Amino acid sequence: MKSPFHLFKIAPDDQRISELRAMILFKELTPRELREVEQLLHERTYQKDEIIFAEGDVGLGLFIVVEGRVRASSSLPAFKNISAEFCCGDFFGELSMFDESPRTARVTAIEPAQVVALFRAEFFSLLERDRGIAAKILFEISRTVCRRSRRALLGEKDLPIL
Amino acid sequence: MNKEPQLSASTWLASILVTCFILLVFQKILWLVVPVLLALVLYYCLRPLVQALVLRGLRHRAAAIVVASLLFFATVLLMVFFLPVAAARASGWREATVHYLQGGLDFLAKSELLLVEKLPVLRGSPLLKPPPMKVDTIIEQFGEKYLGALLLQIVHWLPSLLLMPYLTYFFLRDGNRLKKHLIRSVPNAYFEKTMLLFDRIDNSLQSFFVGLIKLTFLDTVSLALGLWMFGVSGPLVLGLIAAVLAWLPYVGSALGCILVVLVTSADFPDQPAITYGCILLFLGVRILDDFIFLPLTIGRSLHIHPVLSVLMLFLGAAVAGPTGLLLVLPVLGVVTVVTDILGQILTDRCLRERFLLARQLKSSR
Repeated sequence: MKSPFHLFKIAPDDQRISELRAMILFKELTPRELREVEQLLHERTYQKDEIIFAEGDVGLGLFIVVEGRVRASSSLPAFKNISAEFCCGDFFGELSMFDESPRTARVTAIEPAQVVALFRAEFFSLLERDRGIAAKILFEISRTVCRRSRRALLGEKDLPIL
Repeated sequence: MNKEPQLSASTWLASILVTCFILLVFQKILWLVVPVLLALVLYYCLRPLVQALVLRGLRHRAAAIVVASLLFFATVLLMVFFLPVAAARASGWREATVHYLQGGLDFLAKSELLLVEKLPVLRGSPLLKPPPMKVDTIIEQFGEKYLGALLLQIVHWLPSLLLMPYLTYFFLRDGNRLKKHLIRSVPNAYFEKTMLLFDRIDNSLQSFFVGLIKLTFLDTVSLALGLWMFGVSGPLVLGLIAAVLAWLPYVGSALGCILVVLVTSADFPDQPAITYGCILLFLGVRILDDFIFLPLTIGRSLHIHPVLSVLMLFLGAAVAGPTGLLLVLPVLGVVTVVTDILGQILTDRCLRERFLLARQLKSSR
């Protein structure tokens, strides 16, 4: 028989929490922080060739690839010579977490893909409630953006900043 | 952070028409609307508590159970303490009503005398004639005619009000999951816009309901403090009733003022100056409410122009009576957001093309 006090213990990780923990964006979060973030994530499934977002769309959140692959393409000259295929664990659309400017690229699923979306407004509500979790996520976004921009400056291949 | 878009005339017109229709429907199912609305108020007030417990390690469902249990025990405790007091006072309702009404009428008569002394022109005016019946006769007739119906109404409303804590618990437990399910059913092309829609509705409702509770608290405290300084009996209860009545725009404030006058004039029959002081206090609190408390709490969260607000209040009252008066502004706030975003979704050719492409891709496989 379960102890009536199990309500007050930190519950063990379930499969969903383990999946989230494997994502680079959430690797620093504890299980209970992951449970809080899990409430904010929205799963979407895309078919091959389906557009996730188009160039010029108002960006409202970032996407993390859970399964499959997606490709970014853009009319901007800066996108030449940049590898733009995102696969499991990669995230894209991160600039929309900071402002509402239009998307700089179009992202399409190149095979059936499953992604999770983190919406900016919901992320801001998390930022107001618990700065610790939001700071860890923002730090990971910043670190990835830094790495991608540094490699782009050095002319090395990496994922673009979208 | 959120820039509010300028709405077109057609969006406003559509919003007003939809609001009137919703108010008409609400009036028909008031037994359901009232507990749902009260449950929403509690949900928005208690949600931060659930989130705080989740951050401290509880699972979401467990946190919802803990908070709902606390709410239940608080309600039971309140009933245990206040029901006997209320029951004891209810037996003397007739005497109390006569006492307060008589006090009010005496105050009116004294004010009339004072007015006639200052302005002899008003002597013999039909406006200053005494009431045709005695107060206890009026009360007796009221009791015979309406008391039974009133008690029946209370019995009729009780089961639906009992729905309130039950609904609050499910909103707390499954609100987020329900939102996620709803969003999951939206086609991918419209996903981001739908997220925006949900976020704006959530923000509008939260600002309104939480703001309303804060406003009621501030109104109650300031009025109770003032009445207590004047020495009026039951200042806290009187302040709370007046603050809750103020939820009904304009009419509620007038009713609150009448209530304060009745109690004060009955408490101090020979000192009309105190009643005048209480009226000034009430007006002062209403001014504080309009110019300081309201912008601090509900503020401009609903983004409705003041002229339109007043017009909508009249329209709401005409369409659905007191229910319309109470609900017209929050309903209009939410409907405006929905109409605006739906308008954006339906008129965006790119989104429609993307949706059709996704449907084609699905059918081709």
